[in-house]
Amino acid sequence: MSGYVITILTQIVIQAIVVCGLNVIVGYAGQISLGHAAFFGIGAYSAALLSTQAGMSFWTALPLVLLICALCGLLLGLPSLRLKHDFLAITTIGINFIVQAIFLYVPFFGGALGISAIPRISFLGEPLRGQNFLYLCLACLAVVTFICWLFTRMFAGLACFALREDESAATSMGISPVRFKLLAFMLGTMMAGLGGSLYAHYMRFVSADDFSFPLSVGFLAMLVLGGMGTLLGPIVGALILGALPELFRPLAEFRILFYALMLLLMIRFQPGGILGESSLVRKRLFPLFMGGRK
Amino acid sequence: MQLFIEQILNGLAMGSIYAIITLGLALVYGVMRILHVAHASVYTVGAYAGVFIFQSTGSLALAFLGSMLLCSVLGVLIERLVYFPLLKCPPYVPLIASIAVMLTIEEVLRLLAGPQIITFTAKLPFPDLDLGGIHLSSTLIAIYVITIAILLFLWWLTTRTEIGLAMRATSQDMAIAGAQGINSHYIVSLTFVIGSAIAAIGGILVGIYYNQVYPTMGAVPAYKTLALIVVGGMGSVPGAVIAALLLGLAETLLIGYLNVPFPRDALAFVAMIGVLVWRSEGLMGSK
Amino acid sequence: MSDLLLEVKNLSIHFGGLHAVDGVDFDIKRGEILGLLGPNGAGKTVTFNLISGVYKPTGGEIWFDGQRIDGLPPYAIAALGLGRTFQIVKPFPTLSVLDNVLVARGVTRYPGVSSLWTSWRSRKESQAAMALLDRVGLADLAKRKAGLLPLGNLRRLEIARALAVGHKLLLLDESFSGLRHEEIAKLETLIRSIRQDGLTVLLIEHNMRVAMGLSDRIVVMEYGKKLAEGTPEEIQRDERVIEAYLGRKGEADAS
Repeated sequence: MSGYVITILTQIVIQAIVVCGLNVIVGYAGQISLGHAAFFGIGAYSAALLSTQAGMSFWTALPLVLLICALCGLLLGLPSLRLKHDFLAITTIGINFIVQAIFLYVPFFGGALGISAIPRISFLGEPLRGQNFLYLCLACLAVVTFICWLFTRMFAGLACFALREDESAATSMGISPVRFKLLAFMLGTMMAGLGGSLYAHYMRFVSADDFSFPLSVGFLAMLVLGGMGTLLGPIVGALILGALPELFRPLAEFRILFYALMLLLMIRFQPGGILGESSLVRKRLFPLFMGGRK
Repeated sequence: MQLFIEQILNGLAMGSIYAIITLGLALVYGVMRILHVAHASVYTVGAYAGVFIFQSTGSLALAFLGSMLLCSVLGVLIERLVYFPLLKCPPYVPLIASIAVMLTIEEVLRLLAGPQIITFTAKLPFPDLDLGGIHLSSTLIAIYVITIAILLFLWWLTTRTEIGLAMRATSQDMAIAGAQGINSHYIVSLTFVIGSAIAAIGGILVGIYYNQVYPTMGAVPAYKTLALIVVGGMGSVPGAVIAALLLGLAETLLIGYLNVPFPRDALAFVAMIGVLVWRSEGLMGSK
Repeated sequence: MSDLLLEVKNLSIHFGGLHAVDGVDFDIKRGEILGLLGPNGAGKTVTFNLISGVYKPTGGEIWFDGQRIDGLPPYAIAALGLGRTFQIVKPFPTLSVLDNVLVARGVTRYPGVSSLWTSWRSRKESQAAMALLDRVGLADLAKRKAGLLPLGNLRRLEIARALAVGHKLLLLDESFSGLRHEEIAKLETLIRSIRQDGLTVLLIEHNMRVAMGLSDRIVVMEYGKKLAEGTPEEIQRDERVIEAYLGRKGEADAS
């Protein structure tokens, strides 16, 4: 595999990890989050600071990074308990802006210069580069996907689905929205944090610009495209939206336009995503593979 | 003292512009419950149409009229082709669609007109005033006058005309309004026409005020206006206007005058969160 | 253990200036079926919402099995054994019928953190849920997506879910509404068998014949206040009730 392909794949895999987290919040629990990039950033900055300031390795810092992100996710989840959908959507946008502003203006985070000279991740004494780093990311993606799969099989997952389908009915059946919504937020932000940590050690440099609102939109777009609430949707979405700009590269000038148009057409005509229930792919392609079985 | 007054005037101008842009957003949300983020790109199209028509004809009047016409059509197209078919979907779908529309329009503008900043030097047909040593440019006066005119027009429309009544009924409940014989879809499209035309006016005014027109000029207002309609109380037009004026003042005074080290663009959201904590339905919203 | 399962004392709620429920008092004995009747707008569903925790009363108290429950959130009240159906059915549309019931069974079975590592599709659970579905006659539709069901079946699903949750008291909100003759008869039998099992039932019902036939006692509300209370025979003879609505409705209501 060429270095170029490895680079693209690594970015795609890291984004897929983050989008899996978003899937828990939006797809499983039915909450809207347009500020997910903020948690990606919190994870990245935490990892960056812990490794450059406190000298911790990726591995020792990871539990701490996850904890920080979980706490932030808890904070983010609190408004979701009180606010209805549109208010929540706008609040999450606001959180994105505010977190980004904190990264930019509070000197502790390096200001406009960000944090640099982040060390590579070492495994068994060897710094991971290129293909090896990609394998680490893939391993993390596998773990994250497995956790999502487990979650859907545990009652906590079912409770989140119920809250998503009809919150008032779910509460009347004993499901505490407080408990399960916050749980979903924490799980989702932890996954974003993992992705952020990998990102920091990969780029070896982080700055506030990397975690802006358009990135949150990108994550949500990947999720919607792949299929919200499905297990593999985040991966499919990240793959397609990650590969597209590269495929369109020859078109240079028109790249973003095609990306936007594609997103628009997709959401307009197949809002369930590629792996969604009533999508063309499911209806036409799946029967081919599964012999017409429902 | 003079500086302070000048900053207040600037703040009010900023606030007025925010109000003009937010008006369309509040109107649309009122009738359709959709966060029309793409509204900001309609505003950008308004600015571009305005500057090009002005540059080719030399007439500001034509610029305003042409731009308002173009934006109205654009607004209705977005409503009919994108939003209306998605009404039955969960709310994040039209929201993402709106963001996609905004991106598309921005890119088209960038490809057609180039990414560079285009200047919009024009003199609005208002006098420059000098009151007690404070200079008020014609643009500033134009902004105040036009904003007041738009607000008066909307007030007259919604409270004194049949159409306004229909609009208010539709915003309460589309189904019930339909049962009353009101063609809700027509009203919704009309709301887009009005909102988009107002956005066009806003775009031209901003273009002239800052003497700048560029493809991404809608990005920052897009999100601030969202915060503003939340603060004002979703769908409440007077609330949105008050919130807009306050934000304009706050931004200019706090950051421009008092030099508080705080990112200007985040102020809107911090204020929004503050208001939501205090009153979860916004300043003038209803539960 | 007291005789009274539910005690509603001087219950009130107002929205703005409107007293939707105003000083209502009634009790329900263990094992009885109490009918809550009244013309439209009398405040019956609001009372349900107050009892099940959807609304918080502005005055009065509600006691359930010796415990005060007014002001508690709905999920806490459900955990105490109070189940309810909704007038406008609220299934979980993309989940299967079986899964809908499995959600309801989770109330007491996965307290605390155990919900994180307990699978909900265990054989034991599925069997128990299927038993409930069997009871309401939905067993062969177990795998169907709930959103695809017609109204009659959805009402039965509501009851199955309420049964899974409410092992003490069942609140049935217009469960007979919109059903055909055969469905009504089957549902009546079901509710009688539920009471046979020791559950207590509070029902709101517009269908007079059903309400009179099923209830042991009846409470009639009007304009948010309690108008009358007594056995079906007493109520049918009560002049105030007849005036309030039975008189006009009783003749017109053939079913």
